[in-house]
Amino acid sequence: MKTVVITGLGLMTPHGEVPDLVFAALMRGESAVRRVFPELPKPVAAATVAFDEARWFTKLQLAGVDRVSQLAVAAAGNAMHDAAVGNDLDRDRLGVYVGCGMGGANALDTAYRGAIGASGSASAVSTGLAGSFATARVPPLTIPAFMPNAPAAHVAMRHQAHGPVLTYSVACAASAVAIAEAGKAVANGEVDLAIAGGAEAIIVPGVMLAWQAMHTLATFNANDADGAAKAVRPFAADRSGFALGEGAAFLILESEERARNRGARIYATLKGWGYGSDATHLTKPDVAGQSRALRNALNRAGARPADVGYCNAHGTATRIGDIVESDALALVWGDDLDALRVSSTKALHGHMLGGAGALEAAITVLALHHRQLPPNAHCSEIDPACRLVLVPPDGMTAPDLQMAISNSFAFGGTNAVLVFARA
Amino acid sequence: MSSLPELQKLIHEKYGIDPATLDANESMREKGLDSLALVEFLFTVEDHFKIDMSDAEPGTDTLAGLAAIVDRMLAEKAPA
Repeated sequence: MKTVVITGLGLMTPHGEVPDLVFAALMRGESAVRRVFPELPKPVAAATVAFDEARWFTKLQLAGVDRVSQLAVAAAGNAMHDAAVGNDLDRDRLGVYVGCGMGGANALDTAYRGAIGASGSASAVSTGLAGSFATARVPPLTIPAFMPNAPAAHVAMRHQAHGPVLTYSVACAASAVAIAEAGKAVANGEVDLAIAGGAEAIIVPGVMLAWQAMHTLATFNANDADGAAKAVRPFAADRSGFALGEGAAFLILESEERARNRGARIYATLKGWGYGSDATHLTKPDVAGQSRALRNALNRAGARPADVGYCNAHGTATRIGDIVESDALALVWGDDLDALRVSSTKALHGHMLGGAGALEAAITVLALHHRQLPPNAHCSEIDPACRLVLVPPDGMTAPDLQMAISNSFAFGGTNAVLVFARA
Repeated sequence: MSSLPELQKLIHEKYGIDPATLDANESMREKGLDSLALVEFLFTVEDHFKIDMSDAEPGTDTLAGLAAIVDRMLAEKAPA
Protein backbone atom coordinates (compact mmCIF):
# COMPACT_ATOMS: atom_id res chain seq x y z
CA MET A 1 0.00 0.00 0.00
CA LYS A 2 1.28 3.45 -0.93
CA THR A 3 1.50 6.37 1.48
CA VAL A 4 -1.15 8.98 0.58
CA VAL A 5 -0.35 12.68 0.80
CA ILE A 6 -2.28 15.93 0.33
CA THR A 7 -0.67 18.17 -2.29
CA GLY A 8 -3.47 20.62 -3.00
CA LEU A 9 -6.30 22.40 -1.23
CA GLY A 10 -9.16 24.17 -2.97
CA LEU A 11 -11.91 26.07 -1.21
CA MET A 12 -15.02 28.09 -1.98
CA THR A 13 -16.38 28.88 1.45
CA PRO A 14 -18.17 31.55 3.49
CA HIS A 15 -14.71 32.69 4.64
CA GLY A 16 -13.36 32.95 1.11
CA GLU A 17 -11.32 30.74 -1.17
CA VAL A 18 -7.65 31.24 -0.21
CA PRO A 19 -6.82 28.43 2.25
CA ASP A 20 -4.39 30.45 4.39
CA LEU A 21 -6.80 33.40 4.59
CA VAL A 22 -9.73 31.14 5.46
CA PHE A 23 -7.62 29.51 8.16
CA ALA A 24 -6.50 32.91 9.49
CA ALA A 25 -10.13 34.08 9.71
CA LEU A 26 -11.02 30.96 11.68
CA MET A 27 -8.03 31.53 14.00
CA ARG A 28 -9.40 35.04 14.67
CA GLY A 29 -12.77 33.52 15.50
CA GLU A 30 -14.60 35.38 12.74
CA SER A 31 -18.09 34.05 12.24
CA ALA A 32 -19.53 33.95 8.72
CA VAL A 33 -22.99 33.08 9.99
CA ARG A 34 -25.62 35.73 9.23
CA ARG A 35 -29.37 36.03 9.30
CA VAL A 36 -30.91 34.98 5.96
CA PHE A 37 -34.40 35.18 4.46
CA PRO A 38 -35.85 37.73 6.92
CA GLU A 39 -39.24 37.12 5.26
CA LEU A 40 -39.49 33.68 6.89
CA PRO A 41 -41.69 33.54 9.99
CA LYS A 42 -38.93 32.49 12.40
CA PRO A 43 -35.39 33.97 12.32
CA VAL A 44 -32.95 31.68 10.55
CA ALA A 45 -29.18 31.97 10.10
CA ALA A 46 -26.73 30.53 7.58
CA ALA A 47 -23.25 31.04 6.18
CA THR A 48 -23.23 31.81 2.47
CA VAL A 49 -20.51 32.21 -0.16
CA ALA A 50 -19.88 35.46 -2.04
CA PHE A 51 -19.42 33.77 -5.40
CA ASP A 52 -18.92 35.24 -8.86
CA GLU A 53 -19.79 32.42 -11.23
CA ALA A 54 -18.63 34.48 -14.21
CA ARG A 55 -15.05 33.77 -13.15
CA TRP A 56 -15.59 30.08 -13.77
CA PHE A 57 -18.31 29.81 -16.41
CA THR A 58 -19.48 31.54 -19.55
CA LYS A 59 -23.21 32.22 -19.64
CA LEU A 60 -23.57 29.37 -22.13
CA GLN A 61 -21.72 26.95 -19.84
CA LEU A 62 -24.12 27.78 -17.00
CA ALA A 63 -27.15 26.19 -18.71
CA GLY A 64 -28.43 23.58 -16.29
CA VAL A 65 -25.58 23.96 -13.79
CA ASP A 66 -26.87 24.40 -10.25
CA ARG A 67 -25.02 26.51 -7.70
CA VAL A 68 -23.78 23.37 -5.93
CA SER A 69 -21.98 22.27 -9.11
CA GLN A 70 -20.66 25.78 -9.71
CA LEU A 71 -19.13 25.87 -6.23
CA ALA A 72 -17.69 22.37 -6.74
CA VAL A 73 -16.07 23.27 -10.07
CA ALA A 74 -14.56 26.42 -8.57
CA ALA A 75 -13.16 24.71 -5.46
CA ALA A 76 -11.85 21.70 -7.38
CA GLY A 77 -10.22 24.05 -9.88
CA ASN A 78 -8.56 25.90 -7.03
CA ALA A 79 -7.30 22.58 -5.63
CA MET A 80 -5.82 21.46 -8.97
CA HIS A 81 -4.18 24.85 -9.38
CA ASP A 82 -2.81 24.73 -5.83
CA ALA A 83 -1.34 21.27 -6.45
CA ALA A 84 0.33 22.54 -9.64
CA VAL A 85 -0.58 19.32 -11.41
CA GLY A 86 1.27 19.16 -14.71
CA ASN A 87 0.02 18.15 -18.12
CA ASP A 88 1.78 14.77 -17.91
CA LEU A 89 -1.10 13.46 -15.83
CA ASP A 90 -2.65 10.24 -17.20
CA ARG A 91 -6.32 11.25 -17.31
CA ASP A 92 -7.43 7.60 -17.31
CA ARG A 93 -5.87 7.38 -13.85
CA LEU A 94 -7.42 10.59 -12.51
CA GLY A 95 -10.37 10.04 -10.18
CA VAL A 96 -13.02 12.38 -8.79
CA TYR A 97 -14.61 11.55 -5.42
CA VAL A 98 -17.35 13.91 -4.29
CA GLY A 99 -19.58 14.04 -1.26
CA CYS A 100 -22.94 15.76 -1.68
CA GLY A 101 -25.92 15.52 0.62
CA MET A 102 -28.78 16.94 -1.38
CA GLY A 103 -27.70 17.99 -4.86
CA GLY A 104 -29.07 21.02 -6.65
CA ALA A 105 -31.41 22.49 -4.05
CA ASN A 106 -31.72 25.77 -5.94
CA ALA A 107 -32.99 23.93 -9.02
CA LEU A 108 -35.45 21.93 -6.94
CA ASP A 109 -36.70 25.01 -5.09
CA THR A 110 -37.30 26.77 -8.42
CA ALA A 111 -39.03 23.68 -9.82
CA TYR A 112 -41.38 23.39 -6.85
CA ARG A 113 -42.28 27.06 -7.07
CA GLY A 114 -42.94 26.61 -10.80
CA ALA A 115 -44.96 23.45 -10.21
CA ILE A 116 -47.15 25.09 -7.60
CA GLY A 117 -47.74 27.86 -10.07
CA ALA A 118 -48.80 31.44 -9.68
CA SER A 119 -50.81 30.58 -6.56
CA GLY A 120 -47.57 29.17 -5.22
CA SER A 121 -46.90 29.51 -1.58
CA ALA A 122 -45.78 27.17 1.11
CA SER A 123 -49.42 26.79 2.10
CA ALA A 124 -50.24 25.25 -1.28
CA VAL A 125 -48.08 22.29 -0.26
CA SER A 126 -49.81 21.73 3.04
CA THR A 127 -53.28 22.12 1.58
CA GLY A 128 -52.63 19.67 -1.23
CA LEU A 129 -51.62 20.31 -4.77
CA ALA A 130 -54.74 19.08 -6.54
CA GLY A 131 -55.66 21.44 -9.32
CA SER A 132 -52.75 23.74 -8.74
CA PHE A 133 -50.60 22.06 -11.41
CA ALA A 134 -52.69 23.77 -14.11
CA THR A 135 -50.11 26.52 -14.32
CA ALA A 136 -47.12 24.24 -13.71
CA ARG A 137 -44.05 25.54 -15.43
CA VAL A 138 -40.79 23.80 -14.56
CA PRO A 139 -37.45 24.65 -16.17
CA PRO A 140 -36.44 21.87 -18.57
CA LEU A 141 -32.97 21.40 -17.10
CA THR A 142 -34.18 20.79 -13.55
CA ILE A 143 -33.19 17.11 -13.62
CA PRO A 144 -29.57 17.48 -14.76
CA ALA A 145 -29.25 20.48 -12.44
CA PHE A 146 -30.40 18.81 -9.24
CA MET A 147 -29.06 15.27 -9.56
CA PRO A 148 -26.61 14.77 -6.69
CA ASN A 149 -23.84 13.41 -8.94
CA ALA A 150 -23.86 16.52 -11.15
CA PRO A 151 -21.09 18.25 -9.15
CA ALA A 152 -18.74 15.28 -9.67
CA ALA A 153 -19.61 15.13 -13.37
CA HIS A 154 -18.92 18.83 -13.87
CA VAL A 155 -15.58 18.55 -12.06
CA ALA A 156 -14.69 15.54 -14.24
CA MET A 157 -15.54 17.41 -17.44
CA ARG A 158 -13.50 20.42 -16.36
CA HIS A 159 -10.38 18.31 -15.72
CA GLN A 160 -10.94 15.49 -18.22
CA ALA A 161 -10.99 12.90 -15.45
CA HIS A 162 -11.53 9.59 -17.22
CA GLY A 163 -11.08 7.29 -14.22
CA PRO A 164 -13.58 6.66 -11.42
CA VAL A 165 -15.94 9.63 -11.01
CA LEU A 166 -18.01 8.86 -7.95
CA THR A 167 -20.52 10.55 -5.66
CA TYR A 168 -21.14 9.64 -2.05
CA SER A 169 -24.42 10.79 -0.57
CA VAL A 170 -23.91 10.10 3.11
CA ALA A 171 -25.45 13.22 4.65
CA CYS A 172 -23.05 14.99 7.02
CA ALA A 173 -20.28 12.43 6.47
CA ALA A 174 -20.48 12.46 2.65
CA SER A 175 -17.25 14.23 1.83
CA ALA A 176 -15.25 12.58 4.63
CA VAL A 177 -16.30 9.29 3.03
CA ALA A 178 -15.31 10.64 -0.40
CA ILE A 179 -11.84 11.50 0.90
CA ALA A 180 -11.46 8.09 2.58
CA GLU A 181 -12.48 6.27 -0.59
CA ALA A 182 -10.14 8.41 -2.66
CA GLY A 183 -7.39 7.64 -0.15
CA LYS A 184 -7.99 3.93 -0.62
CA ALA A 185 -7.87 4.24 -4.40
CA VAL A 186 -4.56 6.12 -4.25
CA ALA A 187 -3.13 3.75 -1.63
CA ASN A 188 -3.87 0.63 -3.68
CA GLY A 189 -2.73 2.17 -6.94
CA GLU A 190 -6.12 2.30 -8.65
CA VAL A 191 -5.62 5.98 -9.49
CA ASP A 192 -2.55 8.21 -9.69
CA LEU A 193 -4.31 11.32 -8.51
CA ALA A 194 -7.65 11.98 -6.85
CA ILE A 195 -9.70 15.15 -6.63
CA ALA A 196 -11.61 14.47 -3.43
CA GLY A 197 -14.01 16.63 -1.49
CA GLY A 198 -17.56 17.79 -1.39
CA ALA A 199 -20.06 20.53 -2.06
CA GLU A 200 -23.41 21.67 -0.77
CA ALA A 201 -25.62 24.65 -1.62
CA ILE A 202 -28.96 24.37 0.15
CA ILE A 203 -29.51 27.90 1.41
CA VAL A 204 -32.98 28.22 -0.12
CA PRO A 205 -36.18 28.96 1.81
CA GLY A 206 -37.80 25.53 1.44
CA VAL A 207 -34.76 23.68 2.76
CA MET A 208 -34.27 26.15 5.60
CA LEU A 209 -37.89 25.66 6.67
CA ALA A 210 -37.44 21.88 6.61
CA TRP A 211 -34.37 22.00 8.85
CA GLN A 212 -36.09 24.47 11.15
CA ALA A 213 -39.07 22.15 11.40
CA MET A 214 -36.70 19.44 12.63
CA HIS A 215 -35.64 21.66 15.55
CA THR A 216 -31.94 21.22 14.82
CA LEU A 217 -31.11 24.81 13.85
CA ALA A 218 -29.71 27.31 16.34
CA THR A 219 -32.15 29.87 17.66
CA PHE A 220 -31.09 33.46 18.22
CA ASN A 221 -32.39 36.91 19.05
CA ALA A 222 -32.90 38.66 15.70
CA ASN A 223 -32.76 42.07 17.43
CA ASP A 224 -29.23 41.37 18.68
CA ALA A 225 -26.75 42.56 16.03
CA ASP A 226 -24.43 39.68 16.92
CA GLY A 227 -27.22 37.18 17.50
CA ALA A 228 -26.86 35.21 14.29
CA ALA A 229 -23.05 35.35 14.17
CA LYS A 230 -22.79 33.80 17.63
CA ALA A 231 -25.81 31.52 17.35
CA VAL A 232 -23.77 28.32 17.00
CA ARG A 233 -22.04 27.40 20.28
CA PRO A 234 -20.59 23.87 20.12
CA PHE A 235 -20.15 22.07 23.45
CA ALA A 236 -21.44 25.15 25.32
CA ALA A 237 -23.95 24.82 28.14
CA ASP A 238 -26.26 27.21 26.28
CA ARG A 239 -25.99 25.66 22.79
CA SER A 240 -29.13 25.37 20.67
CA GLY A 241 -28.11 23.72 17.39
CA PHE A 242 -26.30 24.56 14.17
CA ALA A 243 -26.58 26.93 11.24
CA LEU A 244 -26.39 25.63 7.70
CA GLY A 245 -23.49 26.65 5.51
CA GLU A 246 -22.86 26.43 1.79
CA GLY A 247 -19.65 25.92 -0.10
CA ALA A 248 -17.22 23.40 -1.46
CA ALA A 249 -13.81 22.06 -0.51
CA PHE A 250 -11.45 19.72 -2.34
CA LEU A 251 -8.16 17.99 -1.55
CA ILE A 252 -5.70 16.63 -4.10
CA LEU A 253 -4.50 13.19 -3.06
CA GLU A 254 -1.59 11.28 -4.58
CA SER A 255 1.08 8.87 -3.47
CA GLU A 256 4.00 10.28 -1.54
CA GLU A 257 6.34 8.75 -4.12
CA ARG A 258 4.61 10.52 -6.99
CA ALA A 259 4.48 13.81 -5.09
CA ARG A 260 8.18 13.69 -4.23
CA ASN A 261 9.15 12.74 -7.79
CA ARG A 262 7.38 15.77 -9.20
CA GLY A 263 8.60 18.06 -6.41
CA ALA A 264 5.12 18.86 -5.17
CA ARG A 265 4.47 20.71 -1.92
CA ILE A 266 3.10 18.25 0.63
CA TYR A 267 0.66 19.66 3.18
CA ALA A 268 0.17 16.48 5.19
CA THR A 269 -0.20 12.72 5.02
CA LEU A 270 -3.59 11.03 5.04
CA LYS A 271 -2.64 8.39 7.60
CA GLY A 272 -5.91 6.63 8.09
CA TRP A 273 -9.66 6.52 7.85
CA GLY A 274 -12.31 4.63 9.69
CA TYR A 275 -16.02 3.95 9.43
CA GLY A 276 -18.48 2.72 11.99
CA SER A 277 -22.23 2.48 11.69
CA ASP A 278 -24.69 3.14 14.49
CA ALA A 279 -27.35 0.84 13.04
CA THR A 280 -29.64 2.02 15.81
CA HIS A 281 -31.62 5.09 14.73
CA LEU A 282 -31.87 7.28 11.66
CA THR A 283 -30.98 10.58 13.32
CA LYS A 284 -30.03 9.88 16.95
CA PRO A 285 -26.23 9.65 17.31
CA ASP A 286 -24.70 6.68 19.08
CA VAL A 287 -21.56 6.41 21.22
CA ALA A 288 -20.83 2.84 20.12
CA GLY A 289 -21.03 3.65 16.41
CA GLN A 290 -18.86 6.75 16.68
CA SER A 291 -16.26 4.99 18.83
CA ARG A 292 -16.07 2.18 16.27
CA ALA A 293 -15.20 4.73 13.59
CA LEU A 294 -12.61 6.39 15.85
CA ARG A 295 -10.94 3.04 16.70
CA ASN A 296 -10.94 1.87 13.10
CA ALA A 297 -9.33 5.12 11.98
CA LEU A 298 -6.60 4.90 14.62
CA ASN A 299 -5.94 1.27 13.72
CA ARG A 300 -5.66 2.06 10.02
CA ALA A 301 -3.26 4.90 10.88
CA GLY A 302 -1.25 2.66 13.20
CA ALA A 303 -1.71 5.32 15.86
CA ARG A 304 -2.49 5.38 19.56
CA PRO A 305 -4.85 8.01 21.02
CA ALA A 306 -1.89 9.75 22.67
CA ASP A 307 -0.37 10.37 19.22
CA VAL A 308 -3.28 12.62 18.21
CA GLY A 309 -3.01 16.21 19.41
CA TYR A 310 -6.08 17.77 17.78
CA CYS A 311 -9.61 16.77 16.89
CA ASN A 312 -11.74 18.87 14.56
CA ALA A 313 -15.01 17.68 16.02
CA HIS A 314 -18.27 17.03 14.22
CA GLY A 315 -19.66 19.34 16.95
CA THR A 316 -23.02 20.37 15.55
CA ALA A 317 -23.99 22.07 18.82
CA THR A 318 -27.18 20.05 19.18
CA ARG A 319 -28.14 19.11 22.74
CA ILE A 320 -27.54 15.41 22.28
CA GLY A 321 -24.95 15.33 19.51
CA ASP A 322 -22.17 17.10 21.37
CA ILE A 323 -22.53 14.89 24.44
CA VAL A 324 -22.47 11.69 22.38
CA GLU A 325 -19.35 12.81 20.51
CA SER A 326 -17.69 13.76 23.79
CA ASP A 327 -18.56 10.34 25.25
CA ALA A 328 -17.23 8.53 22.17
CA LEU A 329 -13.92 10.41 22.33
CA ALA A 330 -13.70 9.73 26.09
CA LEU A 331 -14.36 6.04 25.53
CA VAL A 332 -11.58 5.65 22.96
CA TRP A 333 -9.07 8.15 24.40
CA GLY A 334 -9.47 7.12 28.03
CA ASP A 335 -6.81 8.73 30.21
CA ASP A 336 -5.31 10.43 27.15
CA LEU A 337 -8.39 12.62 26.61
CA ASP A 338 -6.89 15.52 28.59
CA ALA A 339 -4.06 15.81 26.07
CA LEU A 340 -6.43 16.02 23.10
CA ARG A 341 -7.43 19.55 22.03
CA VAL A 342 -10.89 19.73 20.47
CA SER A 343 -12.74 22.37 18.48
CA SER A 344 -15.77 22.49 16.25
CA THR A 345 -15.24 25.11 13.57
CA LYS A 346 -18.91 24.82 12.60
CA ALA A 347 -19.47 27.70 15.03
CA LEU A 348 -17.84 29.92 12.39
CA HIS A 349 -18.52 28.39 8.94
CA GLY A 350 -21.80 26.65 9.63
CA HIS A 351 -22.69 23.07 8.84
CA MET A 352 -21.92 22.43 5.20
CA LEU A 353 -23.52 18.94 5.30
CA GLY A 354 -22.19 17.12 2.24
CA GLY A 355 -19.28 19.54 2.07
CA ALA A 356 -18.60 19.61 5.82
CA GLY A 357 -16.22 16.66 5.99
CA ALA A 358 -14.05 18.08 3.20
CA LEU A 359 -13.91 21.64 4.55
CA GLU A 360 -13.10 20.36 8.03
CA ALA A 361 -10.50 17.97 6.61
CA ALA A 362 -8.88 20.94 4.86
CA ILE A 363 -8.93 22.93 8.12
CA THR A 364 -7.37 19.96 9.96
CA VAL A 365 -4.66 19.71 7.29
CA LEU A 366 -3.97 23.46 7.65
CA ALA A 367 -3.84 23.10 11.44
CA LEU A 368 -1.10 20.49 11.02
CA HIS A 369 0.64 22.52 8.34
CA HIS A 370 0.72 25.71 10.45
CA ARG A 371 0.82 23.96 13.84
CA GLN A 372 -2.04 26.15 14.98
CA LEU A 373 -5.41 25.08 16.33
CA PRO A 374 -8.56 27.02 15.41
CA PRO A 375 -10.77 27.95 18.36
CA ASN A 376 -13.95 26.38 19.59
CA ALA A 377 -15.79 29.68 19.33
CA HIS A 378 -18.76 31.06 21.28
CA CYS A 379 -18.36 28.70 24.21
CA SER A 380 -18.19 30.84 27.33
CA GLU A 381 -19.18 27.95 29.57
CA ILE A 382 -18.66 24.34 28.58
CA ASP A 383 -21.48 21.87 29.19
CA PRO A 384 -20.26 19.84 32.18
CA ALA A 385 -21.58 16.77 30.39
CA CYS A 386 -18.95 17.31 27.66
CA ARG A 387 -15.68 16.10 29.12
CA LEU A 388 -13.41 17.73 26.56
CA VAL A 389 -10.49 20.13 26.60
CA LEU A 390 -11.61 22.71 24.05
CA VAL A 391 -9.31 25.00 22.08
CA PRO A 392 -9.74 28.44 23.73
CA PRO A 393 -11.48 31.35 21.95
CA ASP A 394 -8.21 32.84 20.69
CA GLY A 395 -7.03 29.56 19.21
CA MET A 396 -3.60 28.26 20.12
CA THR A 397 -0.25 27.27 18.72
CA ALA A 398 0.65 23.59 18.85
CA PRO A 399 4.41 23.32 18.21
CA ASP A 400 4.48 19.59 18.93
CA LEU A 401 1.42 18.66 16.88
CA GLN A 402 2.10 15.56 14.79
CA MET A 403 -1.30 14.05 14.13
CA ALA A 404 -4.89 15.29 13.97
CA ILE A 405 -8.32 13.84 13.25
CA SER A 406 -11.50 15.13 11.66
CA ASN A 407 -14.84 13.64 12.73
CA SER A 408 -17.94 13.47 10.51
CA PHE A 409 -21.01 11.73 11.87
CA ALA A 410 -24.04 11.46 9.60
CA PHE A 411 -27.78 11.20 9.84
CA GLY A 412 -28.31 7.60 8.82
CA GLY A 413 -25.72 6.47 11.36
CA THR A 414 -22.64 6.39 9.13
CA ASN A 415 -19.64 7.72 11.06
CA ALA A 416 -16.38 8.60 9.33
CA VAL A 417 -13.08 9.68 10.85
CA LEU A 418 -10.00 10.86 8.94
CA VAL A 419 -6.49 10.84 10.42
CA PHE A 420 -3.87 13.27 9.10
CA ALA A 421 -0.20 13.55 10.06
CA ARG A 422 2.58 16.01 9.38
CA ALA A 423 4.44 14.95 6.28
CA MET B 1 -43.22 42.70 -37.03
CA SER B 2 -40.65 39.95 -36.83
CA SER B 3 -39.66 38.67 -33.42
CA LEU B 4 -36.09 38.17 -34.63
CA PRO B 5 -34.57 41.24 -32.95
CA GLU B 6 -36.19 40.23 -29.64
CA LEU B 7 -34.78 36.71 -29.99
CA GLN B 8 -31.33 38.09 -30.70
CA LYS B 9 -31.58 40.23 -27.59
CA LEU B 10 -32.74 37.23 -25.54
CA ILE B 11 -29.91 34.96 -26.62
CA HIS B 12 -27.43 37.73 -25.94
CA GLU B 13 -28.77 38.25 -22.42
CA LYS B 14 -29.01 34.56 -21.64
CA TYR B 15 -25.88 33.13 -23.22
CA GLY B 16 -23.79 36.17 -24.02
CA ILE B 17 -23.93 35.51 -27.76
CA ASP B 18 -23.59 38.78 -29.65
CA PRO B 19 -26.09 39.11 -32.55
CA ALA B 20 -23.21 40.30 -34.71
CA THR B 21 -21.50 36.93 -34.34
CA LEU B 22 -24.58 34.77 -34.91
CA ASP B 23 -26.14 34.86 -38.38
CA ALA B 24 -29.91 34.43 -38.09
CA ASN B 25 -29.73 31.55 -40.57
CA GLU B 26 -26.79 29.86 -38.89
CA SER B 27 -27.22 26.71 -36.81
CA MET B 28 -27.20 27.52 -33.12
CA ARG B 29 -25.84 24.04 -32.41
CA GLU B 30 -22.81 24.81 -34.50
CA LYS B 31 -22.45 27.99 -32.47
CA GLY B 32 -21.93 25.91 -29.34
CA LEU B 33 -25.48 25.51 -28.02
CA ASP B 34 -25.93 21.85 -27.14
CA SER B 35 -29.34 20.20 -26.80
CA LEU B 36 -29.57 21.23 -23.12
CA ALA B 37 -28.80 24.87 -23.82
CA LEU B 38 -31.28 24.90 -26.72
CA VAL B 39 -34.13 23.44 -24.69
CA GLU B 40 -33.51 25.97 -21.94
CA PHE B 41 -33.46 28.77 -24.49
CA LEU B 42 -36.85 27.66 -25.84
CA PHE B 43 -38.20 27.82 -22.28
CA THR B 44 -36.95 31.38 -21.99
CA VAL B 45 -38.54 32.26 -25.33
CA GLU B 46 -41.88 30.83 -24.18
CA ASP B 47 -41.66 32.88 -20.98
CA HIS B 48 -40.79 36.03 -22.83
CA PHE B 49 -43.54 35.86 -25.45
CA LYS B 50 -46.10 34.09 -23.19
CA ILE B 51 -46.53 31.31 -25.72
CA ASP B 52 -46.53 27.53 -25.51
CA MET B 53 -44.26 25.87 -28.04
CA SER B 54 -44.56 22.39 -26.50
CA ASP B 55 -46.85 21.21 -29.33
CA ALA B 56 -44.88 22.94 -32.03
CA GLU B 57 -42.15 20.97 -33.75
CA PRO B 58 -39.40 23.54 -33.92
CA GLY B 59 -37.32 21.33 -36.26
CA THR B 60 -35.06 24.28 -36.61
CA ASP B 61 -32.04 25.45 -34.73
CA THR B 62 -31.64 28.83 -36.41
CA LEU B 63 -32.87 32.09 -34.95
CA ALA B 64 -34.68 32.93 -38.19
CA GLY B 65 -36.52 29.60 -38.07
CA LEU B 66 -37.44 30.16 -34.46
CA ALA B 67 -38.61 33.69 -35.23
CA ALA B 68 -40.98 32.34 -37.90
CA ILE B 69 -42.58 29.98 -35.38
CA VAL B 70 -42.87 32.67 -32.73
CA ASP B 71 -44.39 35.11 -35.25
CA ARG B 72 -46.98 32.54 -36.30
CA MET B 73 -47.94 31.79 -32.69
CA LEU B 74 -48.20 35.45 -31.81
CA ALA B 75 -50.42 36.01 -34.85
CA GLU B 76 -52.67 33.07 -33.79
CA LYS B 77 -52.85 34.46 -30.27
CA ALA B 78 -53.76 37.99 -31.38
CA PRO B 79 -57.48 38.81 -31.37
CA ALA B 80 -58.92 38.54 -34.84
